[in-house]
Amino acid sequence: MAKATISTETGVALPASGAGRFQGAVGPSSIVLPLGLAFLVLAVWQLYVVIWRVPAVILPSPISITEYIVAHYDILLMHAVPTTVESAAGFLLAVVLGIAIAIVITYSDMAREALYPNLVFFQLIPKIALAPLFIIWLGVGSQSRVAFSVFIAFFPVVIATTAGFLSVDRGILRLCRALTATEWQIFTSVRFPMALPHIFSGMKIAITLAIIGVIIGEFITAQAGLGYLIIFATARADTEVSMAAIVVLCICGLLLYGLVALAEAVANKFYSADSR
Amino acid sequence: MPSVPLKADHLVAEAPLVSVANVQKTYFTRQSPIHAVASASVDVARGEFVSLLGPSGCGKSTLLMMIAGLEKPTAGVITLAGAAVAAPRRDIGVIFQDATLLPWKSTLENVLFPIRILKLPLDKYRDRAHELLKMVGLAGFENKKPGELSGGMRQRVAICRALIHDPEILLMDEPFSALDAITRDQMNVALSEILEAYRKTVIFVTHSIREAAFLSDRVVVMGGRPSTIILDKKMPFARPRRFEIEETQEFAQVCRELRLTIEAAHGQRQGHGQGHGQGHGLGGARADGRQQPVKASAAGASIIE
Repeated sequence: MAKATISTETGVALPASGAGRFQGAVGPSSIVLPLGLAFLVLAVWQLYVVIWRVPAVILPSPISITEYIVAHYDILLMHAVPTTVESAAGFLLAVVLGIAIAIVITYSDMAREALYPNLVFFQLIPKIALAPLFIIWLGVGSQSRVAFSVFIAFFPVVIATTAGFLSVDRGILRLCRALTATEWQIFTSVRFPMALPHIFSGMKIAITLAIIGVIIGEFITAQAGLGYLIIFATARADTEVSMAAIVVLCICGLLLYGLVALAEAVANKFYSADSR
Repeated sequence: MPSVPLKADHLVAEAPLVSVANVQKTYFTRQSPIHAVASASVDVARGEFVSLLGPSGCGKSTLLMMIAGLEKPTAGVITLAGAAVAAPRRDIGVIFQDATLLPWKSTLENVLFPIRILKLPLDKYRDRAHELLKMVGLAGFENKKPGELSGGMRQRVAICRALIHDPEILLMDEPFSALDAITRDQMNVALSEILEAYRKTVIFVTHSIREAAFLSDRVVVMGGRPSTIILDKKMPFARPRRFEIEETQEFAQVCRELRLTIEAAHGQRQGHGQGHGQGHGLGGARADGRQQPVKASAAGASIIE
């Protein structure tokens, strides 16, 4: 027994230290290097604009964009709110819809055969081309943008979640059946937790697509939102505003992505194969 | 006439807990039906340890899965405590070749998994889980996850999980065949110790003759094509059993008998093969007999040329 204990303990210690080496996400260089590169690019951009006296209409300098953001953060924030809220709504609906379709596909062979080829075919349509139709069908309000966002974002959730549900170890399913588990018990205690890593990878793609969906919707028709601001400012050759809106959009996107990553980290606490 | 009441008395005295009567299992495939089990009849008494022994593909696992209610027999009846098995039952614990633990759950939670599924009161069984883990030498590993345990440890967790709801019957499908030989020997000793503490009726599928002989009260050998039961033998060793019995002459003799039975069952095929071989041998001998003159004549021909 004592022998077995020692061997497993060393067995644990080895991959743990190995993983740290491979991830490399903890070392100071992993923060310094990307930030340094970003700073370098911004510095070159700034110097280029200053030295060659590039007009602000063509390319505003990073410093002037920052100054604009600081001076007009209230206007930018006003536009950022609807974009973020609609993206989040589109994303959440896409996840719910995607998981629901994945459940149907997993549990019904007929549904799988009927749905799956059509879903894939659907993916081949350049979906951005359909965005104006959503305005015709659902009007100029936020519902059309949210619907388009769902439309564009649900597919990766379906694919990833289905893969997760179907990847469950057959042995564990057999064990559950031997224990007289109901389908619902198997779903909640085995299938769903086992599919979580897959679901989260689908969600990470979905959140970026949901934002794209909303921005496209705002490009076509909106009275507010960062997409609207970008189109509006570009039309008036107000490149500085347009750039500032893009920067704020990046921040909003990071925020939403960060929330998904946070949710994943929380889920990992309960459903990870690691002890810590 | 007097034999009838006698037989009835006999039945009452030894009403088998598990009864497999003329069970047959055929898989219907596109090409041709596959007869996994041609005919099997076994009775297992309460508290008995019976091994189903045979080479791969002899239908022993299929028979076990039918007893577990996970597969339906094509013909024949399986009864547990008098009731026909139609579906999985709560009073059975099953252990598979793989430990099939949930990777995100701790050892303790994995052991308690059947309690959650069967909706039994968790608090009542937590102490039992600790006790079982202590029994298999895993005290202190309650909060480890399966990824941090060795193969033998994981399989011990699976044994605890199968025992947690105190099932009447334990069905084990080659539980140690994925383990290395040394761990396997340790697990055999550990299992017989566990069963001394928690007496269960066990049906154990294995393709290891030594393992079957060491663990069982009775060894049922399956084999032949199509597969049937070809031997049902009581193991003469006293309990508790320790590893030393494997070194006795008696043990070696029992193993030898089991091995010869399995070989003889193949021998029906091998016998055919040997028959053919002999036939060929004879033919060869005859051919040889003829060949020599042919060679000679050929040699003669070459000489003539």
